[in-house]
Amino acid sequence: MPLGGILFITIFVIVFGCILLLLASKLGRRVYDPVKFQTYECGIPVQEKKDTKISVKFYLTAILFIIFDIEIIFMYPWATTFKDFILSGQGLYVFVSMMVFIGVFVYGLFWEVKSKALEWD
Amino acid sequence: MGTDVFQIAVNCIKLVIVFLLMVQAVPLLVWLERRGSAFIQNRFGPNRVGPLGLLQLLADAVKFLFKEEFVPANAVKFLYYAAPVAALVPATLAFAAIPLSTPVSVDAFEMFGQTWGPYTFLWQGYEINVGIVYVLGVSSLAAYSILMAGWGSGNKFSLMGALRASSQIISYELALGLSIVGVIMMYGTFNLTEMIAQQQGTLSFQFLGHTITSSWLPNWGIFYQPLGALIFFAATFAESNRLPFDLAEGEAELVAGFHVEYGGFKMLLFFIGEYGHMLVASALMATFFFGGWGIPFVGVAEVQAWAATVVGAGTSASLLTGLVHFMVFTLKLAIFLWIFIHVRWTLPRFRYDQLMELGWKTMLPWALFNTVLTSIIFLIAHS
Amino acid sequence: MNPEAFLFWFLSIVTVSAGLAVVLLTNPIYAALSLAMTMVGVAAVFVTLNAYFLAGVQLIVYAGAVMVLFVMVLMLFDLKAEIQAFSRGNLSGFLKIGSVAMLGGLIIGAIVMSSNSLLGNNLPDLVVEADGSKQLGKLLFSKYLFGFEALGVLLMVVAVGAVALARSKGGTHAKH
Repeated sequence: MPLGGILFITIFVIVFGCILLLLASKLGRRVYDPVKFQTYECGIPVQEKKDTKISVKFYLTAILFIIFDIEIIFMYPWATTFKDFILSGQGLYVFVSMMVFIGVFVYGLFWEVKSKALEWD
Repeated sequence: MGTDVFQIAVNCIKLVIVFLLMVQAVPLLVWLERRGSAFIQNRFGPNRVGPLGLLQLLADAVKFLFKEEFVPANAVKFLYYAAPVAALVPATLAFAAIPLSTPVSVDAFEMFGQTWGPYTFLWQGYEINVGIVYVLGVSSLAAYSILMAGWGSGNKFSLMGALRASSQIISYELALGLSIVGVIMMYGTFNLTEMIAQQQGTLSFQFLGHTITSSWLPNWGIFYQPLGALIFFAATFAESNRLPFDLAEGEAELVAGFHVEYGGFKMLLFFIGEYGHMLVASALMATFFFGGWGIPFVGVAEVQAWAATVVGAGTSASLLTGLVHFMVFTLKLAIFLWIFIHVRWTLPRFRYDQLMELGWKTMLPWALFNTVLTSIIFLIAHS
Repeated sequence: MNPEAFLFWFLSIVTVSAGLAVVLLTNPIYAALSLAMTMVGVAAVFVTLNAYFLAGVQLIVYAGAVMVLFVMVLMLFDLKAEIQAFSRGNLSGFLKIGSVAMLGGLIIGAIVMSSNSLLGNNLPDLVVEADGSKQLGKLLFSKYLFGFEALGVLLMVVAVGAVALARSKGGTHAKH
């Protein structure tokens, strides 16, 4: 079971990173200057950010990504078993059922493109 | 992990070595990138410290370690520090699952007055039988370190950079995931080791009941899935935030993207993560399409026979065979890494709308087309 | 304690404590990150059950896609108002008591409903293959084919709905 190995290396990497960060923070020379610790803003005082307005496109991209991602995940079990299905004579049946699924997928994608949901300006 | 102390210890050491391999590749790649870009742009690049400037890497590491510690006043401290550490994890976890060479079989031997039974050690961190799904799943966690860095820095530029980076990564993950459906179909498995095993020997496939063999072409995936390979490789550029897709770091608009506020060693950890993704992408490219650790025209058995004549049969021959194949795999890896670097210094950066357009309207449909085409050919060929 | 039991308990503790952190932390960002951690923990628990493919899907879809969206959305809001809304006020107190009551009911219901199959020894013998992904594919395309196709249509409807919502008035991408 590879789980033990995965857990081991995860913990090792995290400890490794933390030790390096600690080491770097202890070794470096520090000169305190309040101006230096200000947020970077091209040399002018930082503007307090009140309600950040971000284009709804980012949310839309993320939601569409989730939906298409799930559809793609469903193609994986199909792809592994397709050969077995063909050898057992059910190839055409499974192929057609997948093509119906892909057809719906393509129609969805086509609709997104046509409704300009994927346009960035 | 193993059945006894020796096996568990070796497996743990192996995992650590895989991680350290990834970490030590970073300074080498940075050196290669700087020298390579210098030659492409008719400059010298780092050439003062040590032969060919090779010791520059060491000097850089020491410099990074002695940089001043810096936390912006607005930062959320926990996330600000957690992000660079989190950046290391996905690439390491993914890289450890990729088979780097043939398994090494160790004969029974005596140690500490006890017989330690025969072992087989895989030349990889761990074997996972759904290799592809695991690698994709783990790499998709990379978005968190970017988002944590962007939000934790308490800076508008970081936040915008993180937003763009994660948006871009998820957009190209679709084309990436879809482009390997054809590969999975061809090999009929998720397992990376089995994929490599199927790519040994010369090109031979069945078509309408006939077996077609080539006398000299190796049986590599690239000959069956050229379009899939192209889309996969292009999408990995976007996944690892490299030019021409490094919109997250657009200097002109966003100064440096999500790591504006980072410097010194924290910055270096992000670097290791990014180069780690490049390594994983190149290794996957070699595994899916270029025969993994396989040597064209030479079978594993021949290498084993050769190794047995050099160091005698048994454990050492197996080890030597593994080493030879590891060298071949490294060579393939190096070629892809060089392509990554060459492309960076050849192509200009995309605009953001062009980037999204390419991902959603060009690469996704083509990857879908590749899937459909592969399945049609498959259906015809095997029935 | 054998290694498998140790792994199971370790993962359970990590997963459950991450789940508790989702509820108990007042900062929505940390809550969302803990939820992502819970998803990763659940994926690891799937691995202990030999369900490798499901573990991978859990990672890709929940940890890698859904939670990324959550974190992304949360990071873009000015969260000070939300933090206060969740931590004080009479309404939120009632909500808390109501949620605890519902959770308690759920747990009791789950125990009562499943005590037959969990506590009794009449579990069916499960044959778990080393690689369950092929089994899954074969089932999906024979027995559950209709559900699979219906799911494709459902996903498309969701995509259309998302676009329609984003284009409704007030959005930055509203129709002019």
